[in-house]
Parts: sequence; C-alpha cells; structure tokens
Amino acid sequence: MRDVVVYLARALVDDPERVTVEELPGGRGVTYEVRTAPEDVGKLIGRGGRTVKALRRVVKAVAPKGQRVEVEVLAEGE
Amino acid sequence: MVEADTERAGDFLEGLLDALDVDGDITTWVDEVGGHIDLEGSDLDVLVGSNGETLDALQELTRLAVLRQSKRRVRLLLDINGFRARQRERLVTIVKATAEQVIRTREDHEFQPMSPAERKIVHDAVAAIDGARTESLGEDPHRRVVIRPT
Repeated sequence: MRDVVVYLARALVDDPERVTVEELPGGRGVTYEVRTAPEDVGKLIGRGGRTVKALRRVVKAVAPKGQRVEVEVLAEGE
Repeated sequence: MVEADTERAGDFLEGLLDALDVDGDITTWVDEVGGHIDLEGSDLDVLVGSNGETLDALQELTRLAVLRQSKRRVRLLLDINGFRARQRERLVTIVKATAEQVIRTREDHEFQPMSPAERKIVHDAVAAIDGARTESLGEDPHRRVVIRPT
C-alpha cells in the first residue's frame, strides 16, 4: 500500500525524489504521511483540497477491505 | 500532442497497476473530444467505486500526472470496464425520450447540472434529432442543459 501512495504522490509533483511516505499504524487505521518539497505541497493538495481528496479516494478504494486509511500531506521537515 | 499525452496517461496508469500488483489491459485512443484511456480487468471494479466516484478521482490524478510532465492541460477521459460507456448509453436513452417529449408538448426541459462530458453527450444526442435544440445555462458546477423545441 505504501508503494501505491509513493507512486501516486511522485507522479503529481515537480520534484519526485523529495517525496517520502511514512506509514503510521494507529488504533483507527493507517495514516500515510506524505512529505514533499515545500514548493510541491500545493500541488498535492490542489485547489480547495481537490487533489488530496482524489488521492484519498483512490488510496481508500485500493486499501484492504475494512481497513481505514488516511492520507496527510506535509512539507519535508514538518 | 494529444496522442503523446494520452500515451503518458496510459503509462501512468500502467505504473499504478504495477504498484497495485493487479492485471489489466490498457487501450488508448484519441477522438475530437480528447484522449481516451480504457482499462479492462477483473480486479479493477474497485477503481470505479460507487457511482464512478473513484473513477473520477483517478481520472483527475491521471490528468494532473500528465500535466506535471507535459505542462499543458489536455482533455483525458478514463474508463474502467466500460462504466462510462454504459452511463453514456443510459443518458442517451433518457435524452432521446426527453427530446421527443419536448417536441410533443412544445415545452422546454431543463436537466440537472452535469459535467462538461455529460453535457456534450446531451448536445450531441439532441443535435441528431429534428425539432429540438439544446442550450447550456449557468456556470459550473451548476451549468445545465435545456432542451427546447425548434
């Protein structure tokens, strides 16, 4: 699953090498923290959060059944 | 240009299927509407989602991924296992029946707001019918088609 998040996030930014994804299992499911170059944060979030919403929808669709997933976008170092 | 971008879209989706470790056939083609990418595979319905919501999200990500590479915005339409093709057929059936009603009653019919792709389906379907014409009203996301008698 992490590979899928990495793949999608890298395809959407100008500086794919600076994209990292951390998988954080929690009581309510798994959170993927996507970190990217500060200049690319806006590209992953999109206008009005449109891109991150699409990203979440696709990641949730391919997650194992019954597993809750969340995707958060942060700048590297955050 | 559209051809190259449609190829890029296909490559992006192929990479996604690889990352997901699922099989699928990818067909790309171009017409006057834009570039089309059709995915077919028994494990891919999950990417359609209820009412095509996931398909729309994946189409959006595909467009953005291509935009990132080519720096230009092209019209790309993604379909999975014929979902949009079936939706289109259903819409055309409704539009034809509605146009006949408009011609019979001489009263306008205003549809609910639709996406640009759906509106084009309505315009094209009515253009083939004598006695009715279409117009778009309002601004996105409330833009909608009205069928009027001629």
